[in-house]
Amino acid sequence: MKVLVLNCGSSSLKYRLFAMPEESVLTKGVIEKIGTEDAIHRYETESEESSLTEPIYDHREALSRVVATLTSKQAGVISSAQEIGAVGHRVVHGGEVFSSSVVLTAEVKESIRAMTALAPLHNPANLLGIEAMEEVLPNVPQVAVFDTAFHQTMPQEHYLYPLPYVLYQRHKVRRYGFHGTSHRYCASRVPALVKQDLSGLKVISCHIGNGVSVTAIERGRSIDTSMGMTPLEGVMMGTRSGDLDPSLHQFVMEREGLSFDELASMLNKHSGLYGISGISGDVRTILEARAKGSIRATLAFAMYEYRIRKYIGAYAAAMNGVDVLLFTAGVGENSPLLRALICSNLTYLGLALDREANEQGTGERIISSPASAIKVCVIPTAEELMIARDAHALVVGLQRAEE
Amino acid sequence: MNIQQVGIIGAGSRGQEVAEAIAGVGIEVILLDRTEVVLTQAKHSLERLLDQRLNKWGITEAEKKAILSRIKCTTELAELGGCQLLIECVTERIDVKSELMASIEHVVDANTILASNTSTLSLTEIAAKTKHPERMIGLHFLHPPQHHELVEVVRGLQTSDRTFQVAAHFVHTIGKTAIEVYESPGYVTTRLILPLINEASSLLAEGVASIADIDTAMKVGCGFTYGPFEIADQYGLDSVVEMLQSLYEETSDPRYRPTAYLRKLVRAGHVGQNVSRGFYRYDELGNRIEASEGGGASR
Repeated sequence: MKVLVLNCGSSSLKYRLFAMPEESVLTKGVIEKIGTEDAIHRYETESEESSLTEPIYDHREALSRVVATLTSKQAGVISSAQEIGAVGHRVVHGGEVFSSSVVLTAEVKESIRAMTALAPLHNPANLLGIEAMEEVLPNVPQVAVFDTAFHQTMPQEHYLYPLPYVLYQRHKVRRYGFHGTSHRYCASRVPALVKQDLSGLKVISCHIGNGVSVTAIERGRSIDTSMGMTPLEGVMMGTRSGDLDPSLHQFVMEREGLSFDELASMLNKHSGLYGISGISGDVRTILEARAKGSIRATLAFAMYEYRIRKYIGAYAAAMNGVDVLLFTAGVGENSPLLRALICSNLTYLGLALDREANEQGTGERIISSPASAIKVCVIPTAEELMIARDAHALVVGLQRAEE
Repeated sequence: MNIQQVGIIGAGSRGQEVAEAIAGVGIEVILLDRTEVVLTQAKHSLERLLDQRLNKWGITEAEKKAILSRIKCTTELAELGGCQLLIECVTERIDVKSELMASIEHVVDANTILASNTSTLSLTEIAAKTKHPERMIGLHFLHPPQHHELVEVVRGLQTSDRTFQVAAHFVHTIGKTAIEVYESPGYVTTRLILPLINEASSLLAEGVASIADIDTAMKVGCGFTYGPFEIADQYGLDSVVEMLQSLYEETSDPRYRPTAYLRKLVRAGHVGQNVSRGFYRYDELGNRIEASEGGGASR
C-alpha cells in the first residue's frame, strides 16, 4: 500500500509518499507560498529533483498538483492515484480527546476544529489540508496523527498547573506537550538498540531541533514532558524563551510599553539562543561564533546546555532513575559537543560517554561506554514514517473490519 | 472571493499603515501615488514604521524584509489591474475621492471591490459618479492599524450584500474585527472620539488640568488605552481639525466645531507624532519625550 503523509501549514505543505509496509520513501516534496501566483513546488524522487514556480491559489489546488506529480510520467512514482491507499496528516493539537491516531471522520474533524483555541495557528491549517484532500481523493481513508497524543498518558499531577482548578474545568488549561510523534518513534527504537524491552526501562528523550522538548518515558509511556499548554514552555530554544517567571510579563510590558502581541512575539521569536547571543537562533551559527570567541554566543550556548540538563535531572528524579538517555532531531543528532557537555555533568548518575562513538559515529547508535550505568543513544527521528505506520495500520484494520 | 492582491491608492501615512497591515499577513500590496518622490518617501517611512515594530520585538528582521518585499510601489494606474480590492487613502476631500473612484473604475475587473478609507465623508457621494456604486464600500481602519484591531465596514446607499460580505471577510482574514456601519458622518468611532479630543483641548485651554493629567484621567479613570491627546497626536492634529470641520459642515452641530486652541496648534505646525511635536514631543523613533508644554491657561 502507498501512504501519503502530509504536514499542512497555512501557506505551505510538506508531503512524503511511502510504500508500506516496506517503509521506503518513494518521493518527498514541499509546496510553499500557497495562495499566490508564484507558489514554489519542490520535490525529489530517487532519480531526480525538480522545482517549479506556478500560481497555486489554495490547498485543494496544491494537493491536486501533488497527486498529479506523483502520477506524472516524468517524475511519476505511481501509475494512478488509486494506488494511494491512505493519507496520514500531522495534526498539532489533539487536546484531551485524542490519545492515539484516528481515522478521520466528520466527528474527528469537529473535535480538531473545537481545539482551535489551543492551537490557533496550526489546527486550522491542518484542517484545510484534510478537507482539501477529501476533495482531491474522496475515496481514500485519511488518518490524523497528533503531536500531543503520546503525552496523554501523563498523570494528572504532572499535567496540571498549580492554578485555580476551575481554569482546567472551564478552558482545559493544562500541560499537553508536543513533539509526541518524534518521542514515540525514538522510544520505539530503544529496545533494538539496548536489547531490552521498553516495559522495564526509564527513558529520557531529548528532541533538540528548532523547538526543544525533553520527555520522561516510563515503561514506554510519556509521564512528563517539558513543553506545556503551548510549545513555549520548557527548555531554552533557538528563538523561544522556555520557562520564565510569569510575573516578568507584566513588568516588561509596563517598562517597555509592549502590547500582548509584541510580548508574545518577543518570547517566541526574539528570545532563546537568539535573544541572548544577538546573533542567531541556529546552533550551528552560535557554535561558529563561540569558536571565534564571542562572549554572548558562549553564554547563550552555556545557558542552552544548562537548561536542557536541568530537565534531564528533573526527569531522573521524576522516575526515580534513568536507564536510557536519547538525543534526536537536528541538533540532538548532529551536535556531539552539546551531547558531550550535557553528559559530562551527569556522571553522578553513573553515566560515561564513549567519546569516539559520540564524535565519530553516524546514524542510530549507542554513544555511552559499555561500563556506563545509563545507555546514551543517538536516534535520528522519523516523524513522517511514524505517521505512515499509523495510517497504514489503521487503514489495514479498517479493511479487515469491513471484510 | 479570495483576495490575493490589494491596491492602495495614496502613499501618505494612512496608505502606508494600511499597506503594512495587509502585507503583514502575507497579502501582496500595490501602493500607488502620483510621483516617485512621494513613493520614495513612503518607502523610507515604511522602513521606519517596521523598525519601530522590530524595536518592540513585534516582528523579526526576516518578517520586516518579507513585509517590504510584498509592497510594490508604483505610479502606474494600470498596475492595479490585477487587484481584487482597491482601498483609497487619499486626502480627505470629497471632490478628490469621487473623481479618483470614477477614474480608476475602468482599469479594474468588474468584480473588484472599491473601498474608501474615509472617516467622515459620504460614501454614497463618493460612489455617485461611478458606474457600479454597488461595489463601493468603506473600510475605515482605526489609526494606527498596527495597534487597533477595529475596522468599520461602511455600507453606502447602494453597496451590495456581496460587496459587504467580501469586505467583511477580508477584514477577518487580515486579523481584524469588523463592525457593520451604515453611512453616517463619522460612523461610530470618529463621531465619538472627535468631540472627546475637542472637549479635552477646551479643558486644557481653560487651564483646568494639564495634558498629562487629562490623558491620565481618561486612561486610569475610564479605562482608555490612550488618552485624548495621545490619540490626537497619533491621528495628526491637522486631520483632527479637518475631520471636525467636515462633521461640523455636514451636521451644523456646534459640538463638532474645532476649538481655537486646536486650530492654533495646527497653524504652528505642531500637528503630532509625525512631525515629532503635537501635544507631546517625540524622538526620531516616535517615542514620547515629555509633555510639549505644561498647563494650558496661558494659551
